[in-house]
Amino acid sequence: MSPARSIFSRFVVAAILLATVTVLGLWLVTERTIDAALNESGREAVDVDLAGLADIYASGGEIDLVQRIEDRLALRPADGSAPHYLLMRPDGVRLAGDLEVWPDLDAAISERGTIAIGHRSRAHARSTRLAPDAWLLVAHEVDPATALKGGVRTVFLVGGSILVLVVAMLGKLSADRLKRRIARINRLLSHPDELASMPELPRQGRDEIDELAANSAQAILRIRGLLEAHRDTTDRLAHEIRTPLTHLDARLVKALETRPDEQVTARLTEARGEIRRLVGMLESLLDIAWSKARFSDRSTLEPVDMSALVTNMCELYADSAEDAGLSLEWDVKPGIVMDGEEAQLGRLLANLLDNALKYVPTGGTVRVTLHDGPVLVVADDGPGIAEADRSRIFERFQRGPDAEGGEGRPGAGLGLALASAIAQRHSMVLECLPSETGAMFQLRREAP
Amino acid sequence: MDGLNILYIEDDAHTATQVRDIALSRGDHLHWESDGASGLRKAGQEKFDVIILDRMLGDFDGLKILSRLRESGVDTPVLMLSALGRTSDRAEGLDAGADDYLGKPFEAAELMARVNALHRRASGSVHSAVILYGAFECHLKARTAFRENRHLALSPREFELFHYFMENAGEVVTREMLLRDVWNMSFDPQTNVVDVNIGRLRRKLEDGFATPALETVWGTGFRLLAGN
Repeated sequence: MSPARSIFSRFVVAAILLATVTVLGLWLVTERTIDAALNESGREAVDVDLAGLADIYASGGEIDLVQRIEDRLALRPADGSAPHYLLMRPDGVRLAGDLEVWPDLDAAISERGTIAIGHRSRAHARSTRLAPDAWLLVAHEVDPATALKGGVRTVFLVGGSILVLVVAMLGKLSADRLKRRIARINRLLSHPDELASMPELPRQGRDEIDELAANSAQAILRIRGLLEAHRDTTDRLAHEIRTPLTHLDARLVKALETRPDEQVTARLTEARGEIRRLVGMLESLLDIAWSKARFSDRSTLEPVDMSALVTNMCELYADSAEDAGLSLEWDVKPGIVMDGEEAQLGRLLANLLDNALKYVPTGGTVRVTLHDGPVLVVADDGPGIAEADRSRIFERFQRGPDAEGGEGRPGAGLGLALASAIAQRHSMVLECLPSETGAMFQLRREAP
Repeated sequence: MDGLNILYIEDDAHTATQVRDIALSRGDHLHWESDGASGLRKAGQEKFDVIILDRMLGDFDGLKILSRLRESGVDTPVLMLSALGRTSDRAEGLDAGADDYLGKPFEAAELMARVNALHRRASGSVHSAVILYGAFECHLKARTAFRENRHLALSPREFELFHYFMENAGEVVTREMLLRDVWNMSFDPQTNVVDVNIGRLRRKLEDGFATPALETVWGTGFRLLAGN
């Protein structure tokens, strides 16, 4: 499986993204908190400064206040939050301070706010009316706290990177471990034959995955047991039927060796033919049972060159079709390969071709096409199959309506049933499609 | 061909007697072992031309015997003769290392044709540019065929069939051998498709000649005759 589709790769990527987003979020919250704390502290500093100057005005009067404002302006505070002052008359006459213009703050209500200082800086400010003819404005520039924020950023960058790295490594380790455990279960399910050779079967254990592995192993063992029992039964059945038939056939051969008269020879030969017909029917029935028992089991399938197989089969059947007065045409796209059992897929196509050759009247055409998918179509321009019979024909011992009595159309009615069972064994569907010109059989993959 | 030295591992005495009679009538020497363990031991002790192995033995599965033989370095060609004749059984037998697989009941001629073919394959027949047999000539490079010096117009597939018969001249060639070696198919469609193809070849080989070229062996296959 490609890493992009692996649930574990996605799990690791999600953990990394989550860690990154968490670190970024924490960093933003920290910056906001620092800003809020600095603003609050700035506003408090302005209030303290204003209160001090108001006391000076109350105790020393205007002259003393002007002097103190000039003293404070002469000092540059170490933290860089430079103070600004404006003492003025309500009519706009400036008495002291470095600010030229009274901002949009109402001194009567001691309004506070943030004002612009020049083009670059901003300051926390508060105004007050010291006396009816004296307004005072105190402003402290907002401390950008560049160094503090830079430090915090560095801490988050380094710490965050380490955290993301650790999350990624832990995520990958956990994901790899989970992946190995899930891969083991997948291997069990896709290669059930290896279960028997495992030194230790998965046991019920620590967590849900152990439980899943143990349950999967038990289920596979049960299915394998059933399959083996089925196989054993059918093998024994075949053996017990074929062995006496072999003996019977040998006796018929012995009888033929005595050179009996023509009529007896014909009867004995006919009896040998019947034995072969019985054996053929037995094989088909067992093949159907075995194919159905291994329904969708892909563990023993191998790549089969379908294009070569279909072409070979068509070439093999071309002469038979011509002898029957039919035209066999094929359109096979080269290079089509699928996982399968070659002999069974060949048997499937052989049965479809046999069916067509049996029922299409002289002068007809049988067309075989193989295209991507793979999609195999065997279509003819014969009498076709009635809608009501289209699903019934895949049942065992069902024969075409014209085959009653079997004269000239031999067969036990197992061909299409076997073809259908082989299709199912390959996770494919064999269906008889409606057609205006005759019968049309299509083999395609099951819809996902 | 001189008589072959054949080892037959089979627990069914009736079938074993039948096969032994067939082999002896051809001048072959057949050694029969009635269980898997004795068969394995014998195969390791003595050199045989071909081993015929039953698949379902009382003590051993024939597939296990086969894998043990191969593991121990015995590379004698093995024909698996079995009452299990399903397509999947054949594929399993061949996958396990059998060189050929024949289901029961079988034709004596088919069994022996296959034994001969296995022995020929194992001993490595020499391929020359021209194969001669009776009145027939097969020129491999030019891919041309002649009977009594008269050119036979064969299609590419018919030439392959003719070539195969020439390589097995005088021997019975089974339908399964033809399907496997000419059409590259590991299964028998169990219809008369091979017979129809052979019928066409037969007409081309016999057209204008008084004597037959191909003989049909009932229930088994075909044999190329000398044609003169």
